[in-house]
Amino acid sequence: MKITLAIPTRDDTAGLIRLLARAAGRACVAAAVVVDDGSQVPLEPEALAAASGFDPARLTLLRNDAAQGPGPARNRALAHVQTDHLLFADADDLVTPELDFLCADLAGRTFDFCLFQHHDSRAGQEKRRGQMDWDHRFWEAAGVAAGALVSIDPQQAAQLVQTANYPWNKLYRTQFLRAHDIACSEIPLHEDVELHWRSFLRAETILTSDRLCAVHFVAHKGGRMTNRRGPERLQIFGPLTRIAEEIAATGADHLALPFARFALGLTAWIGQNIAPAHRPRLAELTRSFARGHIPDEIRARLAAQDPALVAEVFAEF
Amino acid sequence: MLQISAWTKPPRRAINPPDMSRSEPISPLTAAIAPGLATLRMQGGEGPLADGTECAAGVVVHADPALGLAGHFTSPAGRLLELSARISGRGDWVGLHVTLDLPDLAGLGWVGLACRSAAPEDVMVRPCLRSGTQDGFADHFFAKHILSGPDAMAHLDALDLAAMPDLPRTAPWRELVLFLPRTDFTWHLHDLRVFAA
Repeated sequence: MKITLAIPTRDDTAGLIRLLARAAGRACVAAAVVVDDGSQVPLEPEALAAASGFDPARLTLLRNDAAQGPGPARNRALAHVQTDHLLFADADDLVTPELDFLCADLAGRTFDFCLFQHHDSRAGQEKRRGQMDWDHRFWEAAGVAAGALVSIDPQQAAQLVQTANYPWNKLYRTQFLRAHDIACSEIPLHEDVELHWRSFLRAETILTSDRLCAVHFVAHKGGRMTNRRGPERLQIFGPLTRIAEEIAATGADHLALPFARFALGLTAWIGQNIAPAHRPRLAELTRSFARGHIPDEIRARLAAQDPALVAEVFAEF
Repeated sequence: MLQISAWTKPPRRAINPPDMSRSEPISPLTAAIAPGLATLRMQGGEGPLADGTECAAGVVVHADPALGLAGHFTSPAGRLLELSARISGRGDWVGLHVTLDLPDLAGLGWVGLACRSAAPEDVMVRPCLRSGTQDGFADHFFAKHILSGPDAMAHLDALDLAAMPDLPRTAPWRELVLFLPRTDFTWHLHDLRVFAA
């Protein structure tokens, strides 16, 4: 099975070259679509290919002269994918040799996306290999922590949807995304929430693999996007509302509780990281979202499971 | 000579296996001692599981018929074997038998195995060297059980031949037998190497 890497990048030429160099050695990578999202020094395809060893004939480089954020950049890359399957990759991450084995196992299989495990650089600092514990526990709860290729049922999906909403740990069937109009949100932050949740909502066949197909590097002390504290974080309520409405409309009851937990957990996290001046507005939006999109029955179940979270969010209501 | 290689086979369906650190064939020593493992790596395969299922030539699952063994096996790319077994009866044994082509052991000191395995639910496997005799066979168990859990774990053990005078130095045939649970289990054998030194 051949895939395309869809890569947004901005001012990270070294990381991108490192990723493309690794990708050049992967038999399963047929092409790469790179969207240069307003880098100060525009990327040059010939230079990229020369520095990375990636075949220039298989490299598509697009540019947004003004940065639009990783969401729109990923969406633009998706529009140019020509293979049946793709993997979103961040420029500062890596693909591993296991990706070839996974694609070999997936050849001939029908699926909408395949969620695979990854190595997190923070785990490496703890002298171990693999995902962070808070992600891995959902794999264990779903009973798929081990297994080269496993087809999961809705109850297992309800566990795995609670893993971090990374875009780069899922091998997608291109037509699945296009047919359901699934894409990243066109907002500056949290753009991958909608991609993640709508994928789980719409997929008919989800596969999982315990293979560590990607290496994810986390900036020390929360660099990059994590440091942004402005009102742009409040735009998350658009995607959250759309997902909640879609869960209700499709009757995906198995995802209702996980989504409520995720949404309230995310707003609580934003509350801790946004500038104090924006907290009243955040509380107002959270209150409105919770009243409109978290049914009483779900709220009660969530309170039974996670009373601290519910108390924190609903205390002001 | 003790040689444990980290080499693994290339993806079976890859056109241009690119990463040489993972695309070399199984080490010559293991391939010579346990050719079935090399065959399984190269050809892969999947199918139903039952008493006598041959996953590859020289790699066979045998079970007490009373167990009513059923299930499924598959050989993922880059790995050896995943067994998903359902046991419907009561019986005494089920094992993965790997045919070994060991030389005369008189001049050797060790016969060992190295493996990496995993299992969604904890599984304990007991390895043994089975040697054909005039009367049937003799089993010599490795000291350590293989413990497999959700996180893939490595296991290394060896038989100290000097301390096992009853182990036949010559035998018409030998097998590595990995005794498996006699209840429902799923066991993933990512890698297995056999060495003699």
